[in-house]
Amino acid sequence: MKTMPADFELERLYEDHAQALFAFLLNLTRDENDTRDLLQDVFVRLARHPGLLGSALDERAFLIRMAHNAAIDLMRRRGTRHKYQERFGTERSSPFAATADPDEAAFRAELSAALGELPPEKRAVVHLKLWEGLTFEQIAFSLDISPNTAASRYRYALDKLRGRLRPLYEEIK
Amino acid sequence: MNGPDQFEERLQRQPLRPVPPAWRDEILGPARAAAGPRPVPFAARRRLSSMFATGLSALLWPHPKAWGGLAALWLLVLGLNFASREPARSEVARPAIPPSPQMRALLQQQEQLFAELIGPAEKPVADRPKPVAPQPHSQRREEFLNT
Repeated sequence: MKTMPADFELERLYEDHAQALFAFLLNLTRDENDTRDLLQDVFVRLARHPGLLGSALDERAFLIRMAHNAAIDLMRRRGTRHKYQERFGTERSSPFAATADPDEAAFRAELSAALGELPPEKRAVVHLKLWEGLTFEQIAFSLDISPNTAASRYRYALDKLRGRLRPLYEEIK
Repeated sequence: MNGPDQFEERLQRQPLRPVPPAWRDEILGPARAAAGPRPVPFAARRRLSSMFATGLSALLWPHPKAWGGLAALWLLVLGLNFASREPARSEVARPAIPPSPQMRALLQQQEQLFAELIGPAEKPVADRPKPVAPQPHSQRREEFLNT
């Protein structure tokens, strides 16, 4: 079992995983303030409970699970699922980097909007599959669902995105 | 499932936003504060006690007999101090013990001796009985009846 994470251990975790957690939480919440609060919550919990990562086989998947649970807790604190979707699904902060290329900028804006229209649980699966490269088993562990559920959610979400983005994608392909 | 198609690859190529650099301190600062003071590990405690013992040994080792003699002397002084200490007085709280018959007889003897030495004590003038001339019994009864 690992002991209390020293400062360098917290910094190491931040270096290795903060970017992935930030992108995942920002795509899920679409709010920078919420993302920062949730990320801070994850690292404070890591500092307070040094044994949390002791039994984790996959550090990244475990941390994403922590971040996802923190986001779910925030949703419950704020009220019903409907309110969560209203708040977290609206297009406010794009998870994608800015670009000077107008075609790329248009595509990213459209992709961000299309992702925002997906239910959060499907958006989470798409994000972890496409931008984290996790397997369905890892996604299942991170989101506390079965691998089959993860796969079916991914297919559903990808079909939605394809239908929504097809005109633009065909145009700039 | 088959490998990613062109559309998936297109999506995967979209770069994500980087974490704002200022967040590093905002996130790690509270995390460090939450970790709180760490308990001194056992090895460190053992090291400290070992250092203390080594220092003590270095101080005492050159003249162990002298230090031992000094310690014995201090013990002797403390012992004498305890032995010579008077018990606390508690006569106020303790009930008075009645004197024994022998003691009482001795006190009476002392009183008699004292009285012989200084003579009979004279009563004050106010307490002295008025001098009355001797009168026959019949006359004294008449005086009483008249009053």
